[in-house]
Amino acid sequence: MAHSVDNLQRIGVKFFLSEAPDPEKVIGVFHRWIQNGSVDGMLIDVADYSHVEQGPGVLLVGHEGNYAVDWTRNRPGVVYYRKQPLEGDLGERLRTVCETALQAAELLEDESDLGAGAKLRGDEVQIFANDRLLAPNDAGTQSAFQPALDGLLDRLFNGSSRQLCRDEDPKERFNMDVKAETGAAAAALRARLND
Amino acid sequence: MTTWKEKLEGQMPEDWAREIDIFENQMELRRQGKVEEKLFAETRLRRGAYGQRYDNGQRNDGTGTKPLAFPQGQSTKGPDTVWDAPGMQRIKIPFGGMNPEQMDVLADLAEEYSDGICHITTRQDIQLHYVHFEDTPPMLRRLAAVGITTREACGNSVRNVTACPLAGVCRDESFDVTPYANATMQFLLGHPDIQDFGRKFKIAFSGCRQHACGLVTMHDMGAIAVTREVDGKTVRGFELYVGGGLGAVPHEAVLYDDFVAEDEILPIAQAISRVFARLGEKRNRARARVKFLVKSLGIDEFKRLVEEERKTLPHDERWTAYIEELPAYGEKPLKDGSALNGAGRPEGFEQWYDTNVYKQRQEGYCVAAVTLPLGDITSYQMRALAEIARRYVGESVRTTVGQNVVLRWVREADLIELYQELDALGLSAPGAESIVDIVACPGTDTCKLGIASSRGLAAELRTRLAAKAVELDQAVRDMRIKISGCFNSCGQHHVSDLGFYGVSRNVGGYTVPHFQVVVGGKWVDNAGSYGLPIGAVPSKNIPDVVTCFTDAFLKEREGQESFQQYASRVGKKALKEKLGDLTKVPARDDDAWYYSDWGDPREFTIGDMGTGECAGEVVSLVEYDLSFAEELVFEAQLHLDDGQFEAAAEKSFKAMLQGAKALVKMQFLDVTDDPDHIVSEFRQRYYDTEVFFDRFAGGKFAQYLFRRHESKEGAGDAASARTLVEESSLFVEACHACSAKVQAQGTAREGDATSSVVTLEI
Repeated sequence: MAHSVDNLQRIGVKFFLSEAPDPEKVIGVFHRWIQNGSVDGMLIDVADYSHVEQGPGVLLVGHEGNYAVDWTRNRPGVVYYRKQPLEGDLGERLRTVCETALQAAELLEDESDLGAGAKLRGDEVQIFANDRLLAPNDAGTQSAFQPALDGLLDRLFNGSSRQLCRDEDPKERFNMDVKAETGAAAAALRARLND
Repeated sequence: MTTWKEKLEGQMPEDWAREIDIFENQMELRRQGKVEEKLFAETRLRRGAYGQRYDNGQRNDGTGTKPLAFPQGQSTKGPDTVWDAPGMQRIKIPFGGMNPEQMDVLADLAEEYSDGICHITTRQDIQLHYVHFEDTPPMLRRLAAVGITTREACGNSVRNVTACPLAGVCRDESFDVTPYANATMQFLLGHPDIQDFGRKFKIAFSGCRQHACGLVTMHDMGAIAVTREVDGKTVRGFELYVGGGLGAVPHEAVLYDDFVAEDEILPIAQAISRVFARLGEKRNRARARVKFLVKSLGIDEFKRLVEEERKTLPHDERWTAYIEELPAYGEKPLKDGSALNGAGRPEGFEQWYDTNVYKQRQEGYCVAAVTLPLGDITSYQMRALAEIARRYVGESVRTTVGQNVVLRWVREADLIELYQELDALGLSAPGAESIVDIVACPGTDTCKLGIASSRGLAAELRTRLAAKAVELDQAVRDMRIKISGCFNSCGQHHVSDLGFYGVSRNVGGYTVPHFQVVVGGKWVDNAGSYGLPIGAVPSKNIPDVVTCFTDAFLKEREGQESFQQYASRVGKKALKEKLGDLTKVPARDDDAWYYSDWGDPREFTIGDMGTGECAGEVVSLVEYDLSFAEELVFEAQLHLDDGQFEAAAEKSFKAMLQGAKALVKMQFLDVTDDPDHIVSEFRQRYYDTEVFFDRFAGGKFAQYLFRRHESKEGAGDAASARTLVEESSLFVEACHACSAKVQAQGTAREGDATSSVVTLEI
């Protein structure tokens, strides 16, 4: 029997960074991205929450999804989360979201203003679902989600071994933390998804 | 696929569930074009679904104004409000009271539909930003399932009923106002008598006169708890105020009655609502708040009308039903009270304890304030805070008008452990209700009306002040800073030691973000007095203004005087002189930093701007003239401070005439000094053509000039004089904005300044 998570659209992904970049510089970068249409989607504005400790950092708000350099739980990372529906099955949607996030991560890695702070660790990713109705944070969702996730991770990490972990607090959104044995730069990860 | 509607069926109050269904249907009808957009806008607002900046479908990205190509094109959810554009959802939290279950849901909604941030407002509400309108119905259902309604969170209705967050545990209160605030909210929610207001109506309750927690004097209706001895028995009642409000022209509420018995507070509120609905202005939004009605009728006539109305009200059981339950009312602490013991105290605890902990009147218990920078808390923090609340205090959590959250009934012995848990979440910042704890409205971040970045400035000031908070003198630490992005006062800039509100100035053909500096306001005594602006300073120099004034205060302070007392003693003229070079803006080629706002690297502009030589000359002239108009406003303030009300009124009129003349001279240099001539030319060139009109305020500010010119009214008393001074200040600001707009649109052409008749091409 199909699980509601198969219909999940509000998928999010966070690729962790080696260290935290200067938020003020990120604001400038995101404004420039709007001017140049550097990333996918209709881009609306930049929201600065860098004053909030362990917060969502600096967001590039779009219509289809939001990009962010995020500081949640003191772990900086590049985030993309989808707000509008995507084409394809769950596996395809998952791949699209990751690819979009990696496109942003790749651009951030190339931003000379941000220095080493915007370098991806490349060996750790968090997938989350912004939808407690379709994807409650429980074992049922995890097992229904697992095939699509495995398909993504096999491509992303070239089949290398990895550890999966879920924060099982039922109040948290559904989430999967993945730590791979070996990592790669954003461009390499993205290329693997497109192979 | 299951929906939230199906999942939550039976968990929502039936009438609330039905209302949300109806709203969802109205959304569909609007989508089909079957509901007129103005009507739908008010319907949407009454559900708390607000517009947000750029929802007109365009945005200046720093290189020019660009269209935002939303998928559903120009479908609208209100006039000039694109359907697809993200908006703000305001969530009413009556008296700021939240329980952990509600906090969990608020956290979830922020995460799933917004940007992961719950924003606490200055009226104890919670706002979520960047919400897609289609997500509104499930959001409202999830809120309804935990007992929260957004009904009448916006629109022309009774807004959130606020109350002192210490109510029930305060050491100074007459009695706990919480059940009265709650009953007022419940009684008036959706009441037929509040459905025909011309504008919003705000109510606040306070347990005492002397503190600021309730801010009674700046509300449409404010109630202060008082008791009386009658036949040897203590009887509860309220000192009731009406007609207060900030906004562009602030009014201090006036005393309606020094004792309204507790069983009369609801019927009187109902009768006031009826009088306001019947006699309040409807067409001119700028004069539709109850403060204008009270002023035009006079308090005695207003009261007579309310009392007449009261006599006609059919009896309603709800007026007093809750009073019968009051003996059983009261919060139950989760744990037995006990004092803070001698356990080791972690680093940072003492500073936090000094500023964020308030000893309740109940022995062994405290209120712990969770300081939220700019009122923001993340979903993760909110959920974790709900868990902390469950373990330490049960259900006793409230938002505050200072944009913080307080945990009540914390056992003193738990404070160290609580501090450590908050610290792990990044929620242990000290400085609650101090100069570091700056209040700011959303400003240009998300508000359609914002002129300058109030939040950007607040974040910058907070960073600088927090870095040296320990070194600050207690007198400075006790000061308050409040910032609004425009003159509309959502940041409450009138009632702080140092207030700032966003304006702009044209410098060399470029628009430069500025803030008007407001001094003399009083936060205590329920916002006991309002400050006035003393001059506009470039946004980037405001941190130096704070340093300048706090340094001067410490140096020149006499005895134990507060900043407000100090400002009153030395006078605005002396304070203005201290601003000195801080009011100046370097040329853009010398320092472009001044030409962008805090936290926003885009060039501060309202469009593509020209810098033609001829325009430059005209700019010089108009800026010079407007600067003189500002000077006249300031002199009017000095007269006001000296109690010379007629002189203040006269000077403020001169300031308006000077501002109008400055604009007229942009087209017609030969305008005379004759008031009739100035007003006539101004009306013809700027009002009739709507060139002077503000996008949102329309011709409101011009009406200040016309009314004054036609009535030749003087100032009978301090309040009237103050209003005239405020209006002249706003009129001159509007002249600045108009001048910038005209130049930005390239309409001040060569020859305009010397020809006798020029038609603007806009």
